[in-house]
Amino acid sequence: MSVYKKISYEVKEKIAYIGFGYNNDKSMTVLDEDTLKELDAIADQLKSERKNLEAAIFFTHKERCFLAGADISLISAMKTEADGAQGAEAGQGIFNKIEDLPFQTIACVHGVCLGGGTEFSLSCKTILMSDDKSTIMGLPEVKLGLIPGFGGTYRMPKKIGLPNALDLILSGKTVNARKGKKMGLATEVYPKERIVEMAKKHIGRSQKKANLKESLTDFAQDNFLSRKVIFQKARESVLKKTKGFYQAPLKILDTMEAGMMKSRSSYLASEAQAFGELCVSEQSKNLQHIYWMTEKVKKFPGPKGEGEIPSLKRGACLGAGTMGGGIAWLMASNGMAPLMKDLNTEALELGLKQASSNFQGALKRKKLSRDDFERKMRSIHCQTDFTGFKKVDLLIEAIVENMDIKKSVFSETEKYMRDDALITSNTSSLSVEEMAKALEKSERFAGLHFFNPVHRMPLVEIITHSKVAPETVEALYNWVLKTKKTPVVVKDGPGFLVNRILMPFLNEAGYLLEEGVSMKDLDEACINFGMPMGPCRLLDEVGIDVGVKVAKILHDGLGDRAKSSGLSAKMVEKGLLGRKTNKGFYNYDESGKPTGANEEAQALLPSSQKTMSESEIQMRVILPMINEAAIILDEKIVETPADVDLGLIFGIGFPPFRGGLLRYADSEGLERILSAIEKFSSSVDKDRYEPAEFLKGLVADKKKFYDL
Amino acid sequence: MKPVYIVGAKRSPHAKAGTDLKDVAAPYLGSYLIRHLLDAAGISNTDVDEVIIGNVGNPAKYPNIGRVIALEAGLDKQTSGYTVHRNCASGLEAVSQGFLKVASGRSEIIAVGGVENMSQIPLIYSEEMTELFIDVMKAKSVGDKLKAITQFRPPYLSPIIALEQGLTDPFCGLNMGQTAEILAREFNISREEQDAFAVRSHNLALKAQEEGRLAEEILPLAVGSKLNKLLSTDVGPRAGSSVEKLAKLKPYFDRKSGTVTVGNACPITDGGSALLLVSEEALKKYDLEPMAKIVDYHFHGLEPERMGMGPLLAMDGVFKRTGMTLEDMDLVEINEAFAAQVIAVQKTLVDKEAASRFGVEKAWGEIPDEKFNVNGGAIALGHPVGSTGSRLVVTMAHELKRRKAKYGVASLCIGGGQGGAIIIENLVK
Repeated sequence: MSVYKKISYEVKEKIAYIGFGYNNDKSMTVLDEDTLKELDAIADQLKSERKNLEAAIFFTHKERCFLAGADISLISAMKTEADGAQGAEAGQGIFNKIEDLPFQTIACVHGVCLGGGTEFSLSCKTILMSDDKSTIMGLPEVKLGLIPGFGGTYRMPKKIGLPNALDLILSGKTVNARKGKKMGLATEVYPKERIVEMAKKHIGRSQKKANLKESLTDFAQDNFLSRKVIFQKARESVLKKTKGFYQAPLKILDTMEAGMMKSRSSYLASEAQAFGELCVSEQSKNLQHIYWMTEKVKKFPGPKGEGEIPSLKRGACLGAGTMGGGIAWLMASNGMAPLMKDLNTEALELGLKQASSNFQGALKRKKLSRDDFERKMRSIHCQTDFTGFKKVDLLIEAIVENMDIKKSVFSETEKYMRDDALITSNTSSLSVEEMAKALEKSERFAGLHFFNPVHRMPLVEIITHSKVAPETVEALYNWVLKTKKTPVVVKDGPGFLVNRILMPFLNEAGYLLEEGVSMKDLDEACINFGMPMGPCRLLDEVGIDVGVKVAKILHDGLGDRAKSSGLSAKMVEKGLLGRKTNKGFYNYDESGKPTGANEEAQALLPSSQKTMSESEIQMRVILPMINEAAIILDEKIVETPADVDLGLIFGIGFPPFRGGLLRYADSEGLERILSAIEKFSSSVDKDRYEPAEFLKGLVADKKKFYDL
Repeated sequence: MKPVYIVGAKRSPHAKAGTDLKDVAAPYLGSYLIRHLLDAAGISNTDVDEVIIGNVGNPAKYPNIGRVIALEAGLDKQTSGYTVHRNCASGLEAVSQGFLKVASGRSEIIAVGGVENMSQIPLIYSEEMTELFIDVMKAKSVGDKLKAITQFRPPYLSPIIALEQGLTDPFCGLNMGQTAEILAREFNISREEQDAFAVRSHNLALKAQEEGRLAEEILPLAVGSKLNKLLSTDVGPRAGSSVEKLAKLKPYFDRKSGTVTVGNACPITDGGSALLLVSEEALKKYDLEPMAKIVDYHFHGLEPERMGMGPLLAMDGVFKRTGMTLEDMDLVEINEAFAAQVIAVQKTLVDKEAASRFGVEKAWGEIPDEKFNVNGGAIALGHPVGSTGSRLVVTMAHELKRRKAKYGVASLCIGGGQGGAIIIENLVK
C-alpha cells in the first residue's frame, strides 16, 4: 500500500494516512536517516497532491511508540559544529514543509513521543494524544546536553506559552495526555483505539477561540517586559538547580531569548547553530556517553546459565531499619507484597515509617493516589516470625552488619524458604563469599547492595561469589531493572565497587583536614568539582561510626594504601556520629538540616590552617579514586570501565557532565594522571598514592581506559 | 456432606468507633487477614474458589466489598467474591455459606469473614435536600439554578444518622437498645445485674490481654494517616471498671425508668475477621494441619422486638440439628450486644417455662461460668456488626485450641429478630 519502507502512506477519501513505525520490528521508532528521508519525500508528495487532499493524519503502527525522537547514534556521530548545524537544518526543513501544508495536519500521538517526535508533532496543526499510560511527550534533549534542534524551541512556546515551554525544555521532563491537554499541547485526548477515527472530526474544524482567561494570559506573556522577567526567573532557577555546571540549559535560554522577535528562518538558523555547538561539546558527549551506558545496561551482560530464570514475584526483607524499610518500600512499589520481619513491633514500626516516608513525595506530587498509597503501604506485612516465607521468591536481608549474626540468620531462614527462592544480603561491607557458606544451597545466594536512601539512589550492586548460579545473577539483574534501578554486577571483595572507590575520597579528606586544610575549603573544592556534597557532609550522612567500621574492613582487606587518618575514630569517641546524632563535622537541626560547622569537630583539627589551591584539593581526592578504579579493573571486580563510571554516577552522584570517573581520567589524559599520582606518591604518601600497575600499563601502551 | 476444615483464623484488633481504626476503610480490615491466612497456609493466590464477606454498613465506595477484599488481598483476578448481609450475623452468614459450599463438594477453598468500619458509616442528607441537589443539577440556565437554590430551607441540612437508622428496626420501630429494655423488664433484670455483667466482660478481656491470650488471634494492622504505626491490641477493654462507676451512667434508651446504659451495652466498634475454610482434598493437596472442623450451624427468626433472644432459638436449633447438647460444649460464646439480652438468654436456658414462651421446648441447662465468654465479649471488645459473627468463630477456634478442648458453640442475636449459632470442633490436640 505504500511506496515507502519506513512510513506507510495511504490516501482514503481525500485524507492522507501516514503511519510511523511501519515495517519496524523494534519496539521503538526513531527518526533515523532513512525515516527522515522518507518523511521529506512524503512532505513533498503531500504538497504536490494538495489539491486532492483535505487533511493528513499521522499515526503509529506500534504498540507503545509514536516517534521516540532522533536516532542518538546520528548525533553521536557528529564530528564538527557544522555537521551538527547541518543535521538540525535538514530536519527543520522537513518540519517546515509539514507546517506549511495548506490543509489540516493532525498528529495522533500514541505511545512515546519525545524529542524529534514532539518537534514533528508541533509542526502539525493539531496534536491529539491517546489516553494510554505509555503516551508521553516532551523535549528531553537538555538531558543529553543538547538543545532541541528541529524547531522545538521555536514552536513549543507558540503552542503552550513561554513559561510552560521553558519548563518543559529546560527540565526535559515529559507530560502525559492529561497534562498535555491541560497545557494546550494536545487539542484533545482519545482512547488509542479510536484516536485515528476521531481525528477526522478535527478536519475543517476551526481552532477554538481563546477564552478571556487565555487571552489575558497571552497578553501578559506577550509583551517585552514580562518576557524579560520570565527569562530572568528561568535563568535564576537553572543556575540554582545546576550550580552553573551545565551549559545546555543556558544556551537554550540564550537562543530562545535572543530569538523572540526573529522570523522563522532566522530563528531556526540560530537554533541549528546552537545545536551544532552543543552536540560536539565535551559535556554533551559525556552525557551521550552516559545515555549509551544506560542503554547497554538494560541487557544482562551474562554469563547466561542453562536453567530457568527464577521469576521474582513475592518479596521479603529481614530487618526493618532504614535500609529494610526502604527495601520494603521498593518491593511494595513493585507489587511484591513484601513480608517484613524484625524482632518486635518497635523495630517494625521504624521500617513502616521509612517506607511510608518514601511514598510521601510521590503522594504530594500527586504521582501516587491516596488509594494506591494505601494499597501499596498495606501490602507490606509486618511480622516477627517466618510465616509465609514459603511463598517468598526474593528475600533481601538488611539486618545488623555482623558476619556471625548474618550467617546464623541465613541458615535459619533458609529452612523456611523454598529451594528455588533467591536469598540475598544488603551488606555494604562484609564478604559475600563468606556469608554464602552459611547456606545449604548457596547457588541461589548473592549480595544485593542498595545505597542509602533506597528511594533516591539508583544503583544496586549485585555481588557474586564462587558458587553463585548464573541464573541467580540474571534474575536479580532483571529484577533490579524492573524496579527502575541500575544494576552493576560486582565480584566479592572489600567494599565491592562503589565503597571501595569512595574510600580514598573519604580517607584523603581526613588527611587533608589533619594537614590543616579547612573543612570549608575541602567541601567547596569537591562541590565545585561537581560532587553532590563534600566528603565531610557525606561522612555525616553515612554516619561516622559506619565510616570507621568500613574503613577498617577496607584497610584489613586492601593493605596500607587504604589506611585512614585517625580523625574519624576520634570523632566517634566524642560521640560525634554525624547527622543521626545531630552532630558530626557539622551541626544539624531537628529536621536534619545542617546549621553550620560543629565546634567540637573543629577542636580536633590542627589550629594552624593551611591554604591549598582548589585544584590541588580536588586532585588529592580524585586521583586516588582513579588509581583504585584501575586496580579494580585489574582484579576484574567489574568487567568494564563503564561499570565503574555508572556505579559512581548512580551510586554516589559522581558529576554526570564529566561522563564518569574513568571517562574523566581519559579526557584528562592518563599520562598526566599517572605523573600527578607519582608526584603525590613522593610528596604526600608512598602507600596511598602508589600508582597502580594497571594504570602504568595503560600509559605504557598509550591506551585509555575506554580502549579496553 | 463432606467435612469442612478451618485451617486459619485471624481478626484485626478492635477499636471503638472514632479512634484508632476510624480511617481504615472497611476492605482493609479484611484484605490483609486473608492475604496472611493464605501466606501462612502456603495456598497459591490462584487456588481460592471464592471470597465471602459479611458487611452491614456497606460503604458507597465499595458496593461489593467481598470482591474488593479478594482483589486487595492479592488474589487472582479470576477469583469470585461477594458480600453478604444478615445484620449482626453477617460474618456468621459468610461462614455458613462457605461451609455449605465446601460441604457440598462445590468448592475446595473459601475465604470467609466480615468487616465493619462503623466510624465511616455516613450521615445522609434529608430527602428535601437531596431533591434540591437534583433540581440544581438538572437546571439548565443560571436562572433556573438560582430558582432551585432559593428553595433551600435551613432544616434541610439536618442530617439523617445512617448508623442510628440502621440500629432501629423498621418493622417494629424500636431501637436495638429499646428491645433490650423490653427483655430487662420482662425478665426483671436489674441495673446492677447488667452492670456486673459488663464488669465481668471487661475484667476477663483485660486478663486475656495481659496474659497475651488474644495475641494469637489478632493480626497487627498498620494505622495512622501515614500508615506507619502498628495496632496490635484491642482499644476498648477498660481497666478499673466497677459496678459503682457504671452505676453513674444514665440510661440511654429509656432515660426515665430504663436500665440499659452505654456501659452495659456493646460499643460501636471498627474491626474485621477472616477464616480459611477448606475441603479434605485441599487439606491433603497443601499438606495442611487443620485447626478445627465446622460441625453445623443454624439460623432462626423471632419477634423483632425481642431480637435479643435470638441465641436461645439458634442454639436450640443447632443442638437439635446435630443431636448435641449444651453439656457437650467446652466453650460457649454468646455475643454481648446488651448485658440484659445475654442475661435473659441465660435465664431461659435454665427455665423451661420461660423458654417455652419462645417456642423452645427444652431447658438446655446452665452455662458454667468457666466456659462462658471466657475472654470477655462485645461489651469490652466491641461489636463491629458485619464482623462479629465470624469474629466469634475466630476467637472460639483459638481458645478451644489453647485449652485443647473439643466442642464450642458461638451464637448471637440479630437485629430484625433473628438468632444464629454455629458449633465447631477443635482438631489441635
